[in-house]
Order: sequence, then C-alpha cells, then structure tokens
Amino acid sequence: MTETVTTLTAEELVAAERDRSAERARRADQRRRLLQNSGVLVPFLIVLVVGVAVVPNFVSSSNVTNMLVNAAILAIVGYGMTLVIAVRGIDLSVGSAQALAACVAASVVNSAGPFVGALVGILVGAGLGAVNGLLVTQARVPGFIATLSTMSVFRGLVLLFTGGAPIMIASAGFKDVATSSLLGVPTPFVIAVLAGGGMWFALERMRFGKHVVAVGGSPEAAVDTGIGVNRVLLRAYLIAGASAGVGGVLLASQLGVVNGSISTGLELQAIAIVVLGGTSMAGGRGNIVGTFVAALLLAMINSGLNLLNVPSFYQYVALGLLLIFALSIDGAQRAAVRRMLEGRHS
Amino acid sequence: MTAIDTTPAPTGVANDQGPGRLQTVLHFASRQYLVAVLVVLAVAVGIAKPSFWGGGNIENVLFQASLVGLAACGMTLLIAGGLLDLSVGGVIAVSAIAIGTVLPSTTIGGAIVVALAIGVGLGLVNGLLVTYVRIAPFIATLGTLYLFLGLAFIWTSGKVVPITSSNYRAATTETIGRVPYVFLVFLVVAVAAYLLLSRTHFGRTVRAFGSNERAAVLAGLPVARAKVLVFVVAGLCFALSGVFMAGRLSSAEGNMAMGFEMDVIAAVVVGGTALRGGRGTMFGTVVGSLLFAVLANALNLLGVASYWQYVLTGTVLVVAIAIGARRSAAAEVRGAG
Repeated sequence: MTETVTTLTAEELVAAERDRSAERARRADQRRRLLQNSGVLVPFLIVLVVGVAVVPNFVSSSNVTNMLVNAAILAIVGYGMTLVIAVRGIDLSVGSAQALAACVAASVVNSAGPFVGALVGILVGAGLGAVNGLLVTQARVPGFIATLSTMSVFRGLVLLFTGGAPIMIASAGFKDVATSSLLGVPTPFVIAVLAGGGMWFALERMRFGKHVVAVGGSPEAAVDTGIGVNRVLLRAYLIAGASAGVGGVLLASQLGVVNGSISTGLELQAIAIVVLGGTSMAGGRGNIVGTFVAALLLAMINSGLNLLNVPSFYQYVALGLLLIFALSIDGAQRAAVRRMLEGRHS
Repeated sequence: MTAIDTTPAPTGVANDQGPGRLQTVLHFASRQYLVAVLVVLAVAVGIAKPSFWGGGNIENVLFQASLVGLAACGMTLLIAGGLLDLSVGGVIAVSAIAIGTVLPSTTIGGAIVVALAIGVGLGLVNGLLVTYVRIAPFIATLGTLYLFLGLAFIWTSGKVVPITSSNYRAATTETIGRVPYVFLVFLVVAVAAYLLLSRTHFGRTVRAFGSNERAAVLAGLPVARAKVLVFVVAGLCFALSGVFMAGRLSSAEGNMAMGFEMDVIAAVVVGGTALRGGRGTMFGTVVGSLLFAVLANALNLLGVASYWQYVLTGTVLVVAIAIGARRSAAAEVRGAG
C-alpha cells in the first residue's frame, strides 16, 4: 500500500516539476520577448517623439524621404548581417564590400547601362561575401578576424580601382531609382520592405532558416544532426556580401558620385542595428523585423543630429554608445533567461 | 640567390641552442624561420634598392617598427589572454591630442604622464566593458574605438593640434648612432612584457584564462581582476606608442592612427601568437613588427601605390591565421602535446 502511494507521489512530483519548469520556460520566453522588443521599440518611440517635438523640419517631406532611403540602405545591409550573426559569425567587411560594389557598379553603369551595372554591383558583393565564407569554412579562420582582414583588403582594392578619384554617374535613369517613389513611398524603402519580407520568410518558414538557427545555437549539435554546417555558413556570408552589394548599388544611385572611401564604419552601424533589433550575439536567433525597426531608429538619430547642426563627430559617439547599449541589453537578456530557466535557487 | 644563402645560418643557431626537447627546438626553429624571412626580405630589398640601407631610411624603418611594436606588446598580452582590442587607433589619438593640448603649459615629462594616464583610463573602460558588462572583446572595443575617435574629434573640433615644443620633438625622435631612441624603448617594453607574461603570477593568470577561462575561474584565479588589468596594461602600451607618434608627426589629430589596429594585430599574429589565446611570444612580436615595417618600406621604395599596403596587410594576416589554424588542428590530432 505504502509503496504505491509513494510511487504515485513521486510521479506526481515529477509531473508537477515538469509543469513548473515548463511554466518557467514560458515565462522566460515572455520576458525575453519583452526585453527584446522593448530594447528597440522604446528607444524608437522616444527618438520619434523627441524628433517630432524638438527637431525643426523633422517631418518635412524631403527629410522623411531622406530618412527612409537611408534607413532602407542600412536595413538591407543589416539583413545580411542578421543572418551572419545568427550563425555566430560576424562580417566586419560590409563597409568595404559595399564601397567596392558601389564603385564597380558606378563604373559599369557608365559603360554598359544601369541594369547591367546594378547586376554587376550585386554580383561583386556576392563574390566578396563568398570570399569571406570560404575563408571561414575552408581556411578555418575565425569570422571576425577573416572579415577584419578582408575589410582592409577590399578597401585597398576599391582605392586601387578608383585610383583615389571619384566616379561620377552619368545615367540619369540610374540616379532616379533612389529618388523615385512607388505610391508615395521611396523605391529603396519598398525594396527594403520586400527584401525584409523575403528574408523573414526564409528565416522563419524555410528549412534554411531552421538550419541557421541550429548552426547558430550549437554548431556541434548541428553537425551531429547532419546539417551541412559549412554550406549554411557559406550561404550566410554570401548573402551578407550580396546584401552589401544591393546596398552599394542603392547608395551609388542615391549619391550619384562615389569614391573609394564611402561607407567607412558601416560595419559598426550594421552590427549596432542588428544587435539593437534583438538578434543575440550568442547566435541562434535572428530578428529581421527588429533589424528593420532599428535601421529606422538609427536613420532618425543621424538625421535628427544633422538637422540640429550637431558636428558629425558626435554621431560617432552616439553610435558607439548605441552599440554598447544594445550589447548590454543583449547580455542582460541572456542573463535574465538563464536565471528564469535555472530557477531562483541555483 | 644571395638571399637564399642566408637561410641556413639561423637554423644552425637553433640546433646549437636547442636544449634537447623536441618541442622547444621546433618552437625555436619556427621563430628562427620568421627571422630568416626577415633577413631574406631585408637583403633582397637592399639588393633591389641600395637606398634601403641608407642612413635616413633604416632609422625610418626602425621607427615605424617601434610605433607598431610598442602597441603590439600590449596586444600580445591581450591575445595571450584570448582577448583583443580594436580601439588602438582611438587610444593613440586621444593620448596624442592630450600631449598637444597640455604641452604648452607643462614639462615634457608631465605631458607624457598625462598621455599614459589617459591610456590607462581608456584601457580601464575597455576592461570593465568586457569583464563586467560581458560584451565580447572585439565588439566592445569596436564600439569604444568609435567612442574614443568621437571624443578625439570633439576635443579638437576636428582640427589638427600642432606639437609646438621643439624639445618634445627632439626628445621623442632622438637617435643613438643610427638606432632611434624609441627602438630601445620598444625593446625594453618588449622585455618587460615578456617577463610580465611568463615570469609573474599575473602573466600566468592571463595565460590560464586565455587557454580556458572556466578552468581558470574554477581554479580560484583572480580572472576578473587580471582581465581588467591586462586591458589597462595594453592601454598604457598604446598610449606610449601615441607619445612617440605625436613627436614623429609633430602634430596630433583624430584620425592620425586610423586603421592602426590592423597593423598591430597583424604584427602580433604573424609573430606567432595564436588568436585562440593561452600563450604569446614577445620575440615573435618584435620580429613581426620589424617584418611589416620592412615590407611597407620596400613597397614605398619600389614605388608601389600605397593602397596595396591595405591589400597586403590583410592578406598576410589572413594567410598567417589560416596556416596557424591548420597547424593547431594537426597538433590536436596528435593529442595533448
């Protein structure tokens, strides 16, 4: 008699414990989502309100268009970075890759027309991304140091390509892409939304996205599950390069004249928006929507500081602080989840 | 051909000094291999362009190597601890600007002390961010790089700060014979850093958490304190490099050391300190710094566009790490050598 009672109680205890741990996991997840979303939405709303209230001409149509185009270019680069960070990598070479793609695209636009130019620009970006991917997967160089090196190499190549001189884009049709609008929305912004939708779908609803999450969560476990980890990594870096290429083509279209030193420091902006958007540096989770919102936030901050006539070097400081803020949130979020999962007493 | 003849000499030295243990000999030989590359390169450049050995040029090479090398000594300590600092350019700029700003009203010694104190302070910021806010070192210091650069630009309003004191310029660019004073400082710092890393309790802690942080914590080593301290020491080294760079350029500005972190990391890694942490070779760092200085100088003498240096530094760095990765993968297969 007593034996059956104790077994029952033991089973009940196990069941109750299971329920409690499920409850803890659920609450941890809720808390994570809350932190993740508030990490970008709270600053976004604050900057939006402050911008509208304090900054003159903040909501003028030309400034809004300008902000949306800048945000779009940043967001597109950010999508690729999101993917790379989700697989526990990093791409520091996006700025140099974007500059090279923009300059090659500009020169091809002048010689072979806008469509070929845009295509070549994107392909150049994808090629540079593939170089990064091969260095990481085949030469086994850690991502951050491989891309730190290629950042320098690509920058050297773009300076050699342009010879230090600016390239003017003659084609008016090409330059119109950035300034034109579809149904009142700037074309680059439409492209960014569509690309974001595609990326979101790939990450959330396709096998590739599941593989990305698996590789980022635990590369060893992903290998054991039979996932082609190297292929996933290579694709992630390739997409990051290609998105830097798309960003470069749009940037060339927006500026109309490009030189070898554009997009310096872009890697920091891209990493900042990705981490601020809720993609964890620990890998295993990509948040495309967060990246998109954070790109809008950064574009608003830059535009607001410009309109307030704040010297451009304060933007460096703002960006550095924003990145450290985002990374602290990321760290706090991980610590919170760990505490919730482990319970109070452990 | 003459170039190749010089290779056996260092290897012979290695065999004479080898204390018998295979690994020590191998290690020593791999260091000597780098020296051989350096000698071959210097001889080859000397043959192609005799002006390489000319009076002013060799001082120039040693000066350049020392600027990179001083910062690389601090970076070697960091990398031995499995850490990294990308904010080198920012620390150098801020400390050099401090010198330019305070020099008119203080002594040379006072200005240098201020610069070094700034290096310590900025290193402390990096150390605290990495240790207590728990941000990955390379990304935290990427953030502080822009933070420090921003501070430098704000401090100078984007202008160049001239170093007006001719005494300061003379003191920092003085030479003894054909050897610049800074090169001797570099060697002293390298020896001090070597002793710090391999002969002190602090150095042992750094190497311990560099090879396995969790094990070091469980062994009761003061990991957090040592981590902050190693960033502080590195900041000091970067500021010291800034002290001499300011004298060399006789001015200071925000982007005086833009991209310098690449040269420094490349010198350390090519010197043979593996990025995975756990050990560091100061001798290798000295040779690596000299190697890149000779290489850059050779490109200049040969009239190659300076843009190629970006390409070359990056390529050499990535190749060195790829080779290191292969080598360490092989070592792992052999077992716990």
